[in-house]
Amino acid sequence: MKFNKVVSVLASAAMAASLLAVPAIAGETEASTEAGTEAEGDLIGAKGTEYKIAVVPKMTNIAWFQRMQDGVDEYNKETGSNVVYGGSAEGADQASYVEGLLAEDWDAICVVPFDSEALAPVLQKAKDQGIKVITHEAASMDASVRDVDVEAFQNADYGENFMKELGELTGGKGKYIQFVGALTSVSHNEWCDAAKALQEKEYPDMECLGRYETGDDTTSSYNQTKELLTANPDITAIEGSASTDVVGAAQAVEELGLAGKVAIVGTSMTSIAQQYVEDGTIASFSVWDPAEAGKAMICMAIAELDGTVDDSTMHLAAKGYETVENVNKDGVYYGNARVDVTKDNMNDYNF
Amino acid sequence: MNSKKKHAWLTSNQMILVYIIAVFSLIVGIRQPAFWDFATVLNTMRAAIFTMCFALCEMIVIISGGIDVSFPAIGCVAMYVPMYIINRVAPIDNAWFAFGLAVLIGLAFGLLNGFLVAILNLPPLIATLATSSIASGGVVTILGTREFTVLPSSLQAIYNTNLITYTSPKTGFQYVLNVLVLVPIIVCLLIAWMLKYTMLGRGLYVIGGNKTAARVAGFNVKKLQFAAYVWSGVFVGVAAMIYNILMHSATTSALMGDEMITIAACVIGGVRITGGHGGVGGVVLSVILITLVQNNLNMLGIPTSWQRFVVGIVLLLGTIITSWQTKRSMKMSQA
Repeated sequence: MKFNKVVSVLASAAMAASLLAVPAIAGETEASTEAGTEAEGDLIGAKGTEYKIAVVPKMTNIAWFQRMQDGVDEYNKETGSNVVYGGSAEGADQASYVEGLLAEDWDAICVVPFDSEALAPVLQKAKDQGIKVITHEAASMDASVRDVDVEAFQNADYGENFMKELGELTGGKGKYIQFVGALTSVSHNEWCDAAKALQEKEYPDMECLGRYETGDDTTSSYNQTKELLTANPDITAIEGSASTDVVGAAQAVEELGLAGKVAIVGTSMTSIAQQYVEDGTIASFSVWDPAEAGKAMICMAIAELDGTVDDSTMHLAAKGYETVENVNKDGVYYGNARVDVTKDNMNDYNF
Repeated sequence: MNSKKKHAWLTSNQMILVYIIAVFSLIVGIRQPAFWDFATVLNTMRAAIFTMCFALCEMIVIISGGIDVSFPAIGCVAMYVPMYIINRVAPIDNAWFAFGLAVLIGLAFGLLNGFLVAILNLPPLIATLATSSIASGGVVTILGTREFTVLPSSLQAIYNTNLITYTSPKTGFQYVLNVLVLVPIIVCLLIAWMLKYTMLGRGLYVIGGNKTAARVAGFNVKKLQFAAYVWSGVFVGVAAMIYNILMHSATTSALMGDEMITIAACVIGGVRITGGHGGVGGVVLSVILITLVQNNLNMLGIPTSWQRFVVGIVLLLGTIITSWQTKRSMKMSQA
């Protein structure tokens, strides 16, 4: 459930994300990975760092951020650096945790804000002390209290991808429904808006039946899927937004004996969607890897400390962040870090 | 006299709920012919299981003159801890173990509630609120917040056991009703019998109506209060394990927030919030009504943004009718 909060904070961000889509990103990223052996050393942060950098997650006691810790550990091991990961267990006292850090001589603090309002004055203090501040999942936060923000992707790109998958899985035919955790969730709605816009353009034979609210509750997406399928047997596709949406939908589809006949895509996590991916009811779900997000923040901090921040495009030593763009010139750098998890790569994204 | 009695029955709280259910079903059915299918019965029963179980916990406590807002938290602990142990500590693949531990955890918190309310005489709302915080805060601190979504095979076997499998002739979709639906059905019958025919049941009504009078009449008030809270804890343990099996999900927060709709279900079902009054029949009807409304607004074509509003209106209507009935029956008994 916490994951969904993460998601909504992330995107309460993307104020104008739809403005400048960067169609070439996917290609570029692949290219830079392929050219890896040559170019790897050129990626910012690839050689490690002597700087004193702290990574503070939103909270430490959920799988999502334990995964981020794994990423930081991996970075330290691979580059021989000594970046420190730590934070408040429940998140509520994150601001006082960061305040505690200010007594030490940090060069940079990378933080995923739990409560932006409570954290803002503390980050301001850090900046006043000359500490560089890097944020993640906080694009909408007051820009004056941080130096740079790194985001996994632009919401519009992420949402469009779901429709591309659904179009392929259904052959571009039939009715589909969209679930959002809350009708007020900015990110969920931006994903669905982008998906619907793409459908109207590319798959005119498909029809959006509606957008339904699940309250991040598996039971709700389960019951609504049964209800909607009973009333509309011609539904061929379901798009989920909250991590629990596709799980409830998959259970309903499976119980109704419709596995394989109704395509299901959406955001989720291996820890909760595993069984439905294994048996094929969910062909694949999308997510972004907090381990790489942690690394991307570290790389950004290094760039900031080295004074090598470019105000349009940068290349970071983190998977999915090889090219990040300052799309709106507001210090928010968007990567291309969506990961599509299938049966085959599920073990690599075990969080 | 006889016709008066008949009239009273036709305008009783329960019959009014039946009318509302009938009218609502008619409206949905006219808008959406797919509603007239045996599948609707199965879907409604399946969707009502959790609310029904929780209402069976809550109604006993309310009848006894208390209130319990801790059952969602207790339920979360009761399903999370066994699943945590099975997944992380020792793979004890045994349904008796899972249910047994869930019941024990429910029992422990039920005893705590009973102690706070009956012995320390704390206001039940505050006491159970404290228990709720202790339960959910404690489990998160000690065991963290994971989500377990894969059942051990003994529990998966229960999930795979269906009482009814129905294939809709129109769509070819297959609708199943899990065997666990029998739990609330059987418990409803037992509770109805207990409330009506046992000293325990009569005692709960009496202490809910007037504690002092109950004490004077020779009822052991403390014992009866303990019984109510212990029952609530124990049965919510069972209900939570049912949730875990049917939804493939054990988390520390899955049931949180369910207390309000449960209390509403009791009140609409004619359980007086001040205690001493109410029965299983009304609560069953009110759970059916709430479930029908919650699960058919999409069929009716009501936009999601309006659904919470509509549920609110239905709850308000139900409560108004109940309180109006209460006043009426008081007047009648005075006359």
